[in-house]
Amino acid sequence: MKLQRDVYIAGVGETVFGKHKMDYDELGRMAAFQAIKASNIQGPGMIESAYVGNAHNGIVTGQTIFKDIGICGTAPIINVESACSAGAMAVHLAIKDVAYGLTELSMGVGAENHTLRRKSGTAFMPAMNDIEAVHGGVMTGKYAMRATRYMHETGATQEDLALITQKSRRHAKNNPHAPFGGDYSIEEIVNSRLVAYPLTLHQCCGIVDGAGAVVVCSGDMIKKLGIEKPVKVRGSVVTSGPYHNRPRDITGDDITEMTSAMLYEESGIGPKDVDILELHDAFTIAELLYYECMQLCDKGDGLKFLRDGQATYGGQCVVSPRGGMLSYGHPIGASGAAQVAAQVKQLRGECTGYQVEPIPKVAMTHVTGGGLSGTEHAACTMHMLSSDW
Amino acid sequence: MAEKKKIKREKEPDITFYHPDLLEVPEDGLPYLKGYKCKKCGQLDFPKLTPCPTCWGEEFDMVPLSRRGILYSFSDLYIGQPGLKTPYICGYVDLPENIRIFAMLKGEVNTFKCDEEVELTTGPIRMNEDGLPIISYMFQKV
Repeated sequence: MKLQRDVYIAGVGETVFGKHKMDYDELGRMAAFQAIKASNIQGPGMIESAYVGNAHNGIVTGQTIFKDIGICGTAPIINVESACSAGAMAVHLAIKDVAYGLTELSMGVGAENHTLRRKSGTAFMPAMNDIEAVHGGVMTGKYAMRATRYMHETGATQEDLALITQKSRRHAKNNPHAPFGGDYSIEEIVNSRLVAYPLTLHQCCGIVDGAGAVVVCSGDMIKKLGIEKPVKVRGSVVTSGPYHNRPRDITGDDITEMTSAMLYEESGIGPKDVDILELHDAFTIAELLYYECMQLCDKGDGLKFLRDGQATYGGQCVVSPRGGMLSYGHPIGASGAAQVAAQVKQLRGECTGYQVEPIPKVAMTHVTGGGLSGTEHAACTMHMLSSDW
Repeated sequence: MAEKKKIKREKEPDITFYHPDLLEVPEDGLPYLKGYKCKKCGQLDFPKLTPCPTCWGEEFDMVPLSRRGILYSFSDLYIGQPGLKTPYICGYVDLPENIRIFAMLKGEVNTFKCDEEVELTTGPIRMNEDGLPIISYMFQKV
């Protein structure tokens, strides 16, 4: 999307992630109201449109979240679904409204409660009209096959994959929003319960609940709100996954390669200039492959990039500074918006106990969506943000 | 008072064979998968895509696909779909026709390897709503 004018993020909100008794609407409202207060918004009349990402919690989710906020009746509220990409897509659509001059201030929210509804001990899967789902396909299996192939081609081991978990858990250790942070040994990670060979439990994102929210606005509005640390949206890209039933290299990811290339071009910011990155690390293998797909390093050098410490504090790009999906868990419709919220807080230096130092200037987010057969992913949404003060 | 007529709807039995359009099991022969070749542009697909996504052609010739292929990747699944017995195994099989098939693999966990040859077979992939197995395509070691 070519931004037609400057768009800024005024404020963000995120809930603690984990198993909640509060349903998605309460979580979503909590994150949204946090973002509203952080943006110095004085009343509901200032919010001109809202987009809400959710995957599994039913119908009119956005209106249900926003009814107490007081914009039902005054602003269009549009519900967005694209599996894991939904929350990021909601943020993208809010940006689009402001970028094209349709609104001065809009909101993107992602909210999801899985645990109130979902039977534990089962894996997420595409819809049953999908030919792979009928034949037993699940998301864990899809990523596990990528890991199997990657290990076959490169000689990488389960222990290598476990390094990703170890790093993410360490990043999340002092983040109060992340339930799975801590110091873990490689043995603990590799010896945890086998979910889908070669992926063990600690290499898979947890099924949890949570929400994230983002307020975006124009240049005039950011001044009017008196925001001291405006975060500029440098690029926002949504793509759909190339569809075909021919062999493809699953140690790559066509849609992530395509989307990141578009984002670099749109933002004028290259892969080596990104200070912090939240990506779709729903499973360890994904993060490893995406270093290469997003050109943080050359093809084939992903494991070296990790081992050399380039993806952690002091490295080229701190990947998953909040702890990623591996340490937050992954409420499907919420994660994309929560990633943006966490990155904005990093850029503003607000992450006491888990702040990346020196304070980063450029942040990127990436979240794919859905396991439609014939695609690597049905959707992908990426954002590029930078501090602008 | 007129007696209300009770209309009892007979529930249609659920399927026990997955998609005759995609899989043929001859009585006196080996099973094969059915590819569909677009009459307009020649693109071959499995499963059948209507219209042809390349040229929007709507007519196709059925082409029996090779029964053997190469196992590109696989996973032994210990946590699976709701209702499916675990562990089960899934994999991607690349056929010589430049088509990749996702399927369940028949065999034991810890035994499959990338790039080994596998062949088409059939077997139960799940239970239907009546509690009967649904038969579809699977692959096994040659």
